[in-house]
Amino acid sequence: MSTLARFAGFIDRANDVIGRGVSWLALFMVLVQFILVIMRYVFGVGSILVQESLIYAHGALFMLAAGYTLLADGHVRVDVFYRGATPRRKAMVDLCGVLFLLLPVCYLLWDAAWPYVAESWKVREGSRETSGIQGVYLLKTVILVFVGLVALQGISMAIKSLLVLSGRAGDIPGADQRSV
Amino acid sequence: MTTPEVLAVIMFATVCAVLLMGFPVAFSLAGTALVFAVIGDWIGVFDLSFVGFLPQRVFGTMTNEVLIAVPLFVFMGVMLERSKVAEELLESMGRLFGTLRGGLGISVSVVGALLAASTGIVGATVVTMGLLSLPTMLRRGYDKSLACGSICAAGTLGQIIPPSIVLVLLGEVISAAYQQSQLDQGIFSPETVSVGDLFAGALLPGLMLVGLYIAYQIVMAIIRPDSSPALPPEEGIAGMSRGQVYAKIAHALLPPVILIVAVLGSILAGIATPTEAAAVGAIGALLLAGLRLDESHGLAIYGAGLCLVALLVLTGFVDLRVAREEIPTGDLFAIIVAVLLCLGMAAGILISLFRVLRTGILQSVMQSTAQISSMVFVILIGAALFSLVFRGFGGDEMVHEFLEGMPGGVVGAMITVMIVMFLLGFFLDFIEITFVVVPIVAPVLLTLGVSPVWLGVMMAINLQTSFLTPPFGFALFYLRGVAPDTIKTTDIYRGVVPFVLIQIAGLGVLALFPALATWLPKVVFGP
Repeated sequence: MSTLARFAGFIDRANDVIGRGVSWLALFMVLVQFILVIMRYVFGVGSILVQESLIYAHGALFMLAAGYTLLADGHVRVDVFYRGATPRRKAMVDLCGVLFLLLPVCYLLWDAAWPYVAESWKVREGSRETSGIQGVYLLKTVILVFVGLVALQGISMAIKSLLVLSGRAGDIPGADQRSV
Repeated sequence: MTTPEVLAVIMFATVCAVLLMGFPVAFSLAGTALVFAVIGDWIGVFDLSFVGFLPQRVFGTMTNEVLIAVPLFVFMGVMLERSKVAEELLESMGRLFGTLRGGLGISVSVVGALLAASTGIVGATVVTMGLLSLPTMLRRGYDKSLACGSICAAGTLGQIIPPSIVLVLLGEVISAAYQQSQLDQGIFSPETVSVGDLFAGALLPGLMLVGLYIAYQIVMAIIRPDSSPALPPEEGIAGMSRGQVYAKIAHALLPPVILIVAVLGSILAGIATPTEAAAVGAIGALLLAGLRLDESHGLAIYGAGLCLVALLVLTGFVDLRVAREEIPTGDLFAIIVAVLLCLGMAAGILISLFRVLRTGILQSVMQSTAQISSMVFVILIGAALFSLVFRGFGGDEMVHEFLEGMPGGVVGAMITVMIVMFLLGFFLDFIEITFVVVPIVAPVLLTLGVSPVWLGVMMAINLQTSFLTPPFGFALFYLRGVAPDTIKTTDIYRGVVPFVLIQIAGLGVLALFPALATWLPKVVFGP
């Protein structure tokens, strides 16, 4: 069991670091969009490259932060009943949810996205604009990374639920609060 | 009903049950849809290869330029929340109006509207006002239910008063539905509706609701004076010179008002897209946070604001475009000045950034922004899979036929949709309803000839009402979370009932006079 707990702790740390890292993209988006506004309205110049960098940042921000959001319990729940439930019951819901909802969806999306992304890699798909960012295949790859991060975080969630259900909640790594 | 249609109905019922278990919505939606897709495939009524479209939908969400406005507005709202703008606003407005009977209630309504326009985050507004205003109101002998009702109602204004994240999402979905419905009718050069249209459309109905709230406060102060007593004069503005009063109000009120005017004004003037305006708002919020952290050294930040104004004035008078064949000397000089002004602005922004970074506010704002954006868009992905499967079963056809067969034609269909959404609003959030229900029902209503802007605003107010309605309204839970134990849950319930009635009256008025929503967009953006 302690190996499992350590594995969950490793996933949590990884997603935490990744989430905090990609959250800087939010600041990047604010600054870049503001610069674009000034350039466009004051100096009358635009840049497709910069415009596209905003799209890349936006796509990467919410996709790559998805595992981190799951870790921080930021994905909204319908909590009419969940809020008042006992820790055991919550653990049960989370465990079943991961096994029967989250992981199958991850499998499906991985399965469907693999050929989609592979196709894009094969032709090194780039922007439709010649002066754009020639990395659409990389942006599409983010879908697979998203699936991986969310699935891993789901596994960590399942392990922690198992620990609660087997009465070993004390083994849960880093029981400290990470949510903001 | 055919077998796939039965499956579609069972799937919808199942997803409601699964959602109530409490697992995150995005995965509940997608997971349930997946189970039914497999069942459908197994009994031969669904083609599982349909699901192959999903990655394309996900990528479409990632690269949708309209949706970029969401993280930017979230950044702006969270930054304002963390920089205590709301607190100061409540305190100053309370002092200003508090010495009148019913004044505290009025100031809650006004502040709710201002916060709605600047942050648009419902939970945050209700919680902030619940923590700050509720104790004051109770200490001064306000009627418990009246105080709770006012705070909940004012807090939900964030959904309807632009710029709100909800309207961005709703605008995007309705715009797609509008295109689809026109293509279905064989119109191949379809008219479009934008997020800006919806912002303009929601403005007057939103202000009407605020007006009705204030009217209710005044009526209560007159017919039941003991329900809303005045503050003693020494807690108001007595003892302060006229200049001090003005300074205090200006200090609290000007920053959010300038932000609102800048953001909303540039969208409504047709100058900027919501995304561009959101970036300007986010920078404004950043400067404001930097200023509030160290008021005694505000020179650089005021300077940045002045530079921006000067830059706008300069742009208005001189041609500053740099990509020209020949630039006259006068213009060249102006361009150099403009560059210097930009540097001045950059200095203020950098100083603000340094301050929010050092205090850890920046990190927490960025992390909240990442989490909220991720939450919203992952639901969008889950809802996309759900709708793919629902469509695959012919569920949308069924809804079409059902709504078109309603007695009373378009009115009957509209009322049915409104009631269904109201009921769903008890246990689903705005985002889920927008992504799951609206794409199914909106094309039908639009084909029946309903105006898209009016439909969007009606839906927004309807859901706002739903979030206020006992026993499940979200706003009530938020307030319950921060209200002291002396407040009974029934106090909250009793308090919001009059506001729910006001909302329903507002919906009725908007239903009778659609021009309230459709007039402003026409004036602003042309027919």
